[in-house]
Amino acid sequence: MLIHIYHCYVQAFIEKIVGFRWLIIILVIALTGFLGFQIQYLTINSDILSSLPDDDPDALLLKQIGEQFGGNNMGIVILETDDVFQTHVLKDIRTVTDTLEALEGITSVTSLTNMISIKGSDFGIEIGKLVDEYDLPESKEQLEALRKQVLSNDLYRGSVVSADGTATLIIFTLSTDADVRTVAGLVKQKTTHINLSEKVYYIGSPMLVTYISELMTSDLIRLIPIAFILIALILAVSFKTWRGVFLPLLTAVIAIVWAMGIMGLMGFQMSMISNNIPIILLAVGSAYTIHVLNRVNQVIHSDQRKAVIQATSYVIIPVILAAITTMIGFVSFIFGAYLDMIRDFGIFTALGTLFACLLSIFFIPSVLSMLRYHDGSKFMDRKRKSFLSHRLLAPLKDLLFRHPKYILTSWSLLILLSISGIFLIHRSVDIQDYFPKGDPTREAEKLMIEKFGGTKPVFVLFEGNMQDPDVLKVMNRCAEYMEQSPDITSTQSIADLIAAINGLITGEPGIPEEQYQIEQLWFLLEGNEMLNRFVSEDLDEGVIMSRFKSPDNESKKEFAAYMKRFIQENSNEKCTIRITGMPFVDITMDRSLINSQLGSLTIAIIFVIIVVGMILRSFPSGLYATFPIVAAIIILFGVMGFAGIPLNIGTVLVASVALGIGIDYSIHVISHFNHLFKATGNAPQALEETILISGKAIMINVFSVAGGFLVLIFSQMLPLQYFGLLIALSMAGSSQAALTLLPVVLILVHRKS
Amino acid sequence: MIQIKQVFALFLLSTSIILIPCTVQSQDAKALLKKMDDLMMAPKDRIATVEILLENKGGKEKAREAEMKQKGADKRLYRYTKPENQAGIATLSLPGGEMWLYLPAFGKPKKISLLAKSQAFTGTDFSYEDMDPKPYSERFDPKLINSTDKIWQLELTPSYEKSDYSKIVVDLDKTNYFPTKMEYFDNGGQKVKVADYNYIYSGKYWYAKTVTMKDLKKEHSTEITMKEVKFDQGLSDDDFTVESMIPADKRKTDK
Repeated sequence: MLIHIYHCYVQAFIEKIVGFRWLIIILVIALTGFLGFQIQYLTINSDILSSLPDDDPDALLLKQIGEQFGGNNMGIVILETDDVFQTHVLKDIRTVTDTLEALEGITSVTSLTNMISIKGSDFGIEIGKLVDEYDLPESKEQLEALRKQVLSNDLYRGSVVSADGTATLIIFTLSTDADVRTVAGLVKQKTTHINLSEKVYYIGSPMLVTYISELMTSDLIRLIPIAFILIALILAVSFKTWRGVFLPLLTAVIAIVWAMGIMGLMGFQMSMISNNIPIILLAVGSAYTIHVLNRVNQVIHSDQRKAVIQATSYVIIPVILAAITTMIGFVSFIFGAYLDMIRDFGIFTALGTLFACLLSIFFIPSVLSMLRYHDGSKFMDRKRKSFLSHRLLAPLKDLLFRHPKYILTSWSLLILLSISGIFLIHRSVDIQDYFPKGDPTREAEKLMIEKFGGTKPVFVLFEGNMQDPDVLKVMNRCAEYMEQSPDITSTQSIADLIAAINGLITGEPGIPEEQYQIEQLWFLLEGNEMLNRFVSEDLDEGVIMSRFKSPDNESKKEFAAYMKRFIQENSNEKCTIRITGMPFVDITMDRSLINSQLGSLTIAIIFVIIVVGMILRSFPSGLYATFPIVAAIIILFGVMGFAGIPLNIGTVLVASVALGIGIDYSIHVISHFNHLFKATGNAPQALEETILISGKAIMINVFSVAGGFLVLIFSQMLPLQYFGLLIALSMAGSSQAALTLLPVVLILVHRKS
Repeated sequence: MIQIKQVFALFLLSTSIILIPCTVQSQDAKALLKKMDDLMMAPKDRIATVEILLENKGGKEKAREAEMKQKGADKRLYRYTKPENQAGIATLSLPGGEMWLYLPAFGKPKKISLLAKSQAFTGTDFSYEDMDPKPYSERFDPKLINSTDKIWQLELTPSYEKSDYSKIVVDLDKTNYFPTKMEYFDNGGQKVKVADYNYIYSGKYWYAKTVTMKDLKKEHSTEITMKEVKFDQGLSDDDFTVESMIPADKRKTDK
């Protein structure tokens, strides 16, 4: 009785929707036009730094230091050759230096051919250029003298020229208001045109950010059409009708336009994670319409309008439920995510899923009710004889009823095996792991680690009077202490400069004893650009700059503990010492990968049990619904462990996304089964029909969703390749579990009852 | 034959029409630049208080003050009086590019050999190349490129090697031959700095009361203001010795 009343309500609601179909269609078109227009305001931001959260003190300090001392807008051109100290190489360095200096948006360039050299001589101080750019050394003696001068000085060796003399850096700084992508693009374009004989690499935040943006744009341009065509083909094979291909894709495309339009409207930016929102929505967004269409096709009614109303009223609850659970999977990132870009990804994929769901309930029935009559009986007949039903689902159903315990045992073994693989999973937050082997950025990163002490910046911030000898002496000690770490090659600070200039004036390098002496030495540094990189305008803050070598997380933790000891022992009333840098952010990010993964999964599973249990009015149903997806996630982690796929900022999303999408299959199976079982009281019959009808929609959905995600393996970024592969794998796992493990549980539960 | 003669005459006439203005223009430009040099170097010596105001991109200002003595074009002594913690610091420029620095906290003056003229002059936006005491007419080849009611515009191309500039465009006041503006272009042809001059007449000389140099790339500027300027004070070479950099009361103890 209750079911009947409820069904009447739902039917009346769908009738209203169909009654307002013109209004709904016009509204959807208008909204799509408006939000589609907003997409033009959507910009790409591939800077990981900007995505670091402000509530993490390490990340906040890193951002502040980067902005204040200019580390965030420094780019590097690396020239690699057999020997830097050759006239033609010096000429090339000079050409690149001049070319970069001429570019608008670049405020300064530092290279071997324009560096200032200040040295003591018999008569006083000699201020000159390290290399006379107008009269480059040509003779063997001149070049050897230059080699000796450069490689014997800590200011140059390892920071401008590699210790083995085979690579050199040309470091440039962008003005704060420069358009990073334009300038970085010009740097690449102009240096390419020079036809350098050396091997050229680009690294540093502006170049990296631009490179990732380029990859993201080209990924979007290449992959979306492929995913679109692939899903269209799968739908065409499955439904064999135009509407079967067109309507699911239309729903997904509108949902994408709305989600991306709102992103643009609200001033959000595309990140290297949200870059795959369109592909995810293309795959996920089509699913709800597939279920609506599948049911419409099964309803035999001479009136198309009534067929649509009847079919939609059957499917509306599982569709809403599936959308809510998928959204829970995405929204769960908000609670556990460390990076802002992961949180944004969660919000907008959830929003896109909501739109797809609303469209499949409001827009698709409105459109379908206007199409010509579709003979469902013919369709059903054809469907029942189709390959999927006849060759796959029917034998599967027989197997389930005949050997439920074998199937349960097989799943148990598979799960046990996968659990052992989970312990093999390793985590990675290293930027090198974003790019496939042979990628130019990965090669540049490798070269920087091998020859220039890495790229991960480390900053030690001293808050105190930068002209106080006691403060500068602590800075000097700190630099020496840091350099004892195997992962720190060299350090730079104002204390180094003051000590060096003092040496030139007095003949004894070191920090002078009196403040007024330092204040007068400062006169020689005024106007030097290096000063802005080392001390604040008011001289109340200064930094030691360095780079960390090892990508290994344990080394980072050891270094953090090592530096903590120094800071505790040396912070005093004259100066407060704080340390930050990418290694420290990496440690937090690494810890957050586990917390984020466990947090978002736990939240998602609990919510799914509650929501499914409440809507289906049965707590056991909620619990059973999670079995297939939990099994699929365990298998997913097992595969990651055995295959050596790391848990990183891309793959950390997989489990929750998989849960959100994969739970739909269980929901469709359970709700269809409950509906039939309550109507007939015959569990085997209810299960048989569930597997044959909902199983079909599930298989179509799996093929299209997994196909859509598999397209990501053609991405140029490794985390996205893994993401696509693993989602496809977990889709296969959760669908198979929903069609085998879950029915077996239902068979066994109902056999007992 | 007549025809050949006529053609030849026509050729001579036409080339002279083309060439004569060029020569005249070049002579004019040289003469104008020489007049500018003469005006700038007219006083035998000068004493002044120099205020230096540095302004960075964010609008933050730093002020310095120095007592300046100059004899001829190539003897110049600056003794800084502000900021207080740099008071007493002195720089001495002598003929032949010789430069000395005196830091009171360290006693003896040090000779500075300046091999890179692109270096900023004591933190200002003027480079040592900009401050070169040699007359412009000896360092640059001028070309008259424009003329208006008030100014001549000269394009100066460095006649020496190792310049940081490809050219300097000077606006020259038509009445008095002082520069009102100089635009500096780097070797890539990009305008990198602009100097604005404000000349005033005092007694018998014109002098730049203020000069503002703007570095367009760094968005940093330096304003130099001359105060209490006195000309022809009879300064001698003894006022420009290395020892003269050290204040009198400290000389004995240093010795």
